[in-house]
Amino acid sequence: MKVNKEVMKKIETNARLNLSEEEREKFMAQINDVLDYFDKIKEANTDDVEPSFHPMAIKNVFREDVVEESLTQEEALVNAKHKKDGFFKGPKVV
Amino acid sequence: MEVKIGLEVHCQLNTKSKLFCGCKNDVSDVPNVFTCPTCLGHPGAKPVFNKVVLDKALEVALALKCNINKTILFSRKSYFFPDLPNNYQITQYEFPLAEKGMFDGIRITRLHIEEDPGRLVHKGSFVLIDYNRSGTPLIEIVTEPDITSPERAKDFLNKLVNALEYLGVYSRSSEASLRCDVNVSINGGNRVEVKNVNGINDVRKVLEYEIDRQQIQQAKQETRGWDSEKCITYEMRTKESEQDYGYITESNLPSFEISDIMIESAESKLPELPHVKAKRFMGDYRITPEDAEVLTTEIELADLFEAVARKIDPVLAARWLRRELVKLLSLNKKKMKEIEIDEQQMTDLMDLYFSKKITDKIAKQLMEIIIEKPIDIKKYVEENNLMAVSDENELDKWCNEVINDNPQAVDDYLKGSENSLNFLMGKVMRLSKGKASPDLCKDMIKRKLNK
Amino acid sequence: MLSIKKMGFLRDPKWCEMDIKEFVAKVKSGEINVVEYTEKVLEDIEQINSNYNYFSVITKELALEQAKKVNRSKTGKLAGVPISIKDCICVKGVESSASSDILKGYKPVFNATVVKKLIDEGAIIVGKTVQDEFGFGGFSMNVGNSFKVPYNPFDIVRSCGGSSGGSGGITQKSRYLHVSIGESTGGSIACPASFCGVYGFTPSYGVVSRYGLMDYGSSLDKIGPMAKSLDDCKKVFDVIKGHDIKDSTSLDFRENEGEVKKVAIIKESFNVNPKIKDIVINKIQALGYEYEEVSLPVVDKYALASYSLIAMSEASTNLAKYCGLRYGYQPEMKEMYNDYFSKVRSETITDEAKRRIILGTFARMAGYRDAYYLKALKVRTLIINEYRQKFKEYDILLSPTMPILPPALDEVKYLEPLELYKMDQLTIGVNLAGLPHISLNAGFVDGLPVGLMLIGDQLKDNNIFKALEGIDGS
Repeated sequence: MKVNKEVMKKIETNARLNLSEEEREKFMAQINDVLDYFDKIKEANTDDVEPSFHPMAIKNVFREDVVEESLTQEEALVNAKHKKDGFFKGPKVV
Repeated sequence: MEVKIGLEVHCQLNTKSKLFCGCKNDVSDVPNVFTCPTCLGHPGAKPVFNKVVLDKALEVALALKCNINKTILFSRKSYFFPDLPNNYQITQYEFPLAEKGMFDGIRITRLHIEEDPGRLVHKGSFVLIDYNRSGTPLIEIVTEPDITSPERAKDFLNKLVNALEYLGVYSRSSEASLRCDVNVSINGGNRVEVKNVNGINDVRKVLEYEIDRQQIQQAKQETRGWDSEKCITYEMRTKESEQDYGYITESNLPSFEISDIMIESAESKLPELPHVKAKRFMGDYRITPEDAEVLTTEIELADLFEAVARKIDPVLAARWLRRELVKLLSLNKKKMKEIEIDEQQMTDLMDLYFSKKITDKIAKQLMEIIIEKPIDIKKYVEENNLMAVSDENELDKWCNEVINDNPQAVDDYLKGSENSLNFLMGKVMRLSKGKASPDLCKDMIKRKLNK
Repeated sequence: MLSIKKMGFLRDPKWCEMDIKEFVAKVKSGEINVVEYTEKVLEDIEQINSNYNYFSVITKELALEQAKKVNRSKTGKLAGVPISIKDCICVKGVESSASSDILKGYKPVFNATVVKKLIDEGAIIVGKTVQDEFGFGGFSMNVGNSFKVPYNPFDIVRSCGGSSGGSGGITQKSRYLHVSIGESTGGSIACPASFCGVYGFTPSYGVVSRYGLMDYGSSLDKIGPMAKSLDDCKKVFDVIKGHDIKDSTSLDFRENEGEVKKVAIIKESFNVNPKIKDIVINKIQALGYEYEEVSLPVVDKYALASYSLIAMSEASTNLAKYCGLRYGYQPEMKEMYNDYFSKVRSETITDEAKRRIILGTFARMAGYRDAYYLKALKVRTLIINEYRQKFKEYDILLSPTMPILPPALDEVKYLEPLELYKMDQLTIGVNLAGLPHISLNAGFVDGLPVGLMLIGDQLKDNNIFKALEGIDGS
């Protein structure tokens, strides 16, 4: 089994997801099923093949170093429920 | 004891706008005033690369003698933190701008471009977040573990910062704009990484602390944090240090090709770097290494020296600038950039001084004036009657008066005290408002007393 | 005040079959009052929505405000045309949530570029359409708890397809002129177009700006129109396409003339339900095409795997920003930050979203990254090259859009993830390679629509319209 409980827990931590035991079991089975299918690509011969990050090559798109209008503080905070004195409020870190 | 130190140095670039959006690249006391959907991580917002960041980063890479990669990409480095609006940082992983360079005898592993997260203020049961800084352009310079002591690290960083200021890509305004991750191992042991060290002084402190700690307690390979108040490193919670960054390409951005023309253009813009300039000063002007090093700490100072050295003996000029100007600037906590001294003023002042037309005291007084406001030196000296007095009759008058008024000192001198001579000289200087020529004064007093 | 004559005018079924060309002409001549028309449209979609669940938000106030403006100015290529927008595309000040509970209540402070362009040309935004959360699905069933699953316009026990299900549904069901803006990552415009019996056009990657589109797979997402006439698709496409400085992957699209000399059917795509195969072949013949047959073995074998790994890897990073900070669902912050993030995410997103985040996180984790993420990117190159080869000889490739008829919602519920993913097999390679494609109705089997798909070469979007010239009698 490619993704066992240990690997699942590592993934959950990295992705900030809490799964119940039940969910973990269910997902694990489904995910391993899917990954077995995805393993197909190992058969493809990709020696000397470059990866395609986009469907076509896109290069060198820049903007000039010009200051543009920012949002006002009010606009920036308008969708925030937790805020204080112009700051966003977040959960404890230390 | 064998010490191996490697540094990952993050410097904020001084562009007008941010790395991936047009918000102003600036600090403010007011939070969240330089933000937009892109640097706030709003769904649907997209990054667009600031060309000047590439130009500046390229100049730095060339100054550090790196190989430039012809095709570069950006990557997403995933981790969750409240100051990171997308919970990934756009950085460069597999295709950095530059690799394999050399600076101050230390090998540079790589140099890449990345964005800064926002700023957190810890408030007990919650944090306050200001995203003004989010999206500021950074360059990260990574060294090989070639640095062998905390002092060397400090020295290296000072030189590096100097070079960055010469290149005009960075301003050393606050310690916070230079952040380091520090890697250190001793005697072939495990490597410890200490993250988020702010400023050069703290880097030295961290290294000293870690080296001590690793001598007492066998180091295990780990990432530690730095408490700058308690001045200790501490073990980081495993959850944070075990985050897998899961790098993928930033597919909201294209690839970037660095052409030969771009490289040539950047190369042509490179100024002469400090250590190269210092060496040249020693060769061309025959000044001491100490003077050369001091004079090249700020490019404005170096330029001033060279201008003055066209008319004044360079060795004398160098010494004067170092002992008088640099000292004054340091005392008044000013930088060359902040004052209006020009070469004409300096040249005139030194000319008057070295030809003994003004005394040392007067020269020092004039220095204090010109760092505050510019004046026409020659005119000012004339108008205020500050020329050194060497007129025998005037000197005679002053010396006689001082001798008469200070019998005890005269007595002490005749008994053999050199200090008393200096004391009497001091009195004459005060009486003459600093204008009495010190050498002539000394001779005259001696003659009078030795009679 | 409406005259009786005019009201009668509006109830004339002939008016409801108008296309954009006719409609805009009548708006500009004053024959149609945009405000009145919009009121009728809103009434219609409210009623449809109460039975079919196509909308997450109906933007009544915004629509009437726009209608008043357009009625006065009578300008714009889309003057007065009612348009709905898939929920994942930002409309300023309008709740935009990609049908996810984690974004409930979020009102963007900016318009997506496509929305701005549409408004500038006088279009009337009537609402946001329901979708699979963030685009994760092919049946519009993976909606958050605050949303309802949309029903197939031909049979309410069946699926609209997805993920632009709401868009497909309302385009078909609306009694008035309607165009919907959908989004496709792996086939999410073509699939609902097929299941709802409408045109759904997906442009080449990069031709329509993604600025303001909530990212699913940033190298895969495309925005495109769904309509009841080909010409309507083209007209809207002409408005929304074009380079955008705000989107770094937006291309400087140089329109090609449109030339169709040789077409071919894709052999592997016809291994489907024989009834579907027959309908599609008949349609192809009815269109007058002389076609050859090509084989795409690399696409057939690897496209789904390669696409899924790339899409999920990108999606797992694109969804990281949703963690209860700054917008959307923001419960009380009692815990430490990591626990808070995990709680917010786990409590709101659907199982499918969790699965894709897990798969995507895994695919790019140290130790697995080379074998999965990086390998998939290389296989993508093989797939792009295979299409490129074929397009050297042929201008258009043909296939059914979907391998099945619109399934019953109850059936879909019991399918395993892998089975569900395989349903996209006909559109996935096309999307992975960023090729322009259109799905049009080929006919009906047991009263259910079947889609025919035309695929063009990268950036030769006009070939598709050229190939279908005259199809609606236009």
